[in-house]
Amino acid sequence: MNEAPSLKHSPHAAALLAAALVLMGCNSQNTRSDTQCAMPESRSLETATQDVRRALEGGCEERFDDYWQRLLAIAEGDPRPQNKQHFSELLVWASERGLVSRRQAQSLYNRYFNVKFVSLMGEYSNCAYTCPTKDKVMSRMEQELADKEQGLLRVSADREGYSRADRLYQETELVLEATCRACDTAR
Amino acid sequence: MQLQRSTAWRWPFPTPVRPPVWLASFCMLAVSLGPAGATAADGPTIRLFPTTVLEDIQQTGQAAKNLETGLQDVIARLDQQQQLYRESKCEGAEDDPGCARIARQLGATYLEMLDVMGGQLPEMERTVNNTHASLQKRLRSELGQKMSPWTLQETLLGQREGGAGQARPGLRGRSGMRLSDRFRQYYQLVAHSRDSSGRSLAVIASDIYLDMREASDLIARTREEINRARLMEQLNQSFGLVTPEMQEVVAGVKSILFGEEEVYAPIAGPPPLTEPQAYESPLKL
Repeated sequence: MNEAPSLKHSPHAAALLAAALVLMGCNSQNTRSDTQCAMPESRSLETATQDVRRALEGGCEERFDDYWQRLLAIAEGDPRPQNKQHFSELLVWASERGLVSRRQAQSLYNRYFNVKFVSLMGEYSNCAYTCPTKDKVMSRMEQELADKEQGLLRVSADREGYSRADRLYQETELVLEATCRACDTAR
Repeated sequence: MQLQRSTAWRWPFPTPVRPPVWLASFCMLAVSLGPAGATAADGPTIRLFPTTVLEDIQQTGQAAKNLETGLQDVIARLDQQQQLYRESKCEGAEDDPGCARIARQLGATYLEMLDVMGGQLPEMERTVNNTHASLQKRLRSELGQKMSPWTLQETLLGQREGGAGQARPGLRGRSGMRLSDRFRQYYQLVAHSRDSSGRSLAVIASDIYLDMREASDLIARTREEINRARLMEQLNQSFGLVTPEMQEVVAGVKSILFGEEEVYAPIAGPPPLTEPQAYESPLKL
């Protein structure tokens, strides 16, 4: 009868087994982590949000941005004005638990659900602050307008809100063009 | 000989400064007359149209009015002569003595139109430059130096977000009405804005300023070119030709002064009515 090769006498086999165990352990950990931090599958925004809250409380805060995008996508399936409140409450909840700062929560909410542009902020004068980087400012506003299209139009069904944001973008472009030219003449 | 293929002479203006193009800029002057001061309903006070700016704009409007008055009679005669030319089936029959005579008369009236335009342009240029300079100063001061990006967008949006149903001017383009009527309309609009919101005025001021700048450049270049055009038309008189360019110029002038149909794409049309949102997030800025 052949005996099984002893690990004591087979250093190669021992090394292989050890490596396999390590890999199995890693795989086991990954599987658990993936399950914990998985994206919500429900098509119901309420249910999906509950899943996300649980995941965030369970240590998946690093995936906050992914969850945010996922919830937006789910909400697009059932666009309605109340969705805006849903996202606001999630952000307030997240900021109260320290998952995001209050400022981050404000910025995120207003970027998607407010007519005003967070990319057009600042306390200094337009001549000194905005005009030197006017092209970048307009580029950021354009990107934000795309997010507002998702938040206001496709998630909240707020056509009027999006229309005003779009109009504000166009008017800002015109007014900054004129104002910055006027500022340039003083330099 | 096909009229469209005539090579007797080419319109001497470079394409960007043909009269229909720069005359379109005159139409932009129509977004002008404004109150001496204006404030946003609840927002920062902006004084884009103080008395001095108002006077400059009024003078520009008067210069446009004079141009309109001066050209009205000439344009009417050009219309009659062009109609006669068409009805006499002169197109392609330029060698006919009768047609040549009509063409020379048409060319003479056309020269008269150039003379009127040439006579009015220096005054137009002066008032346009004054308006440009005064608006430049106000924009730099009121929107550039006194306002931050945030206050600027609050001004544009208006403090009372639900009250965006106010009519706004349709800017940048022809409205299909007489130039003088446009002035009257905009006077009423801006005068009304005095008591409602300053945000329209910021847009109007910006629009006028950019158009004044463009108009100033075009007028200067056109003045340089118009003498050449007059000389060429004088030479052309000896051949009695009616060129497509002449017809194009006349059509352009008419559309500006008397409001023919044009494609109109306003940058600032009236916004749709707003229904107040039921929910206000505590995160909202």
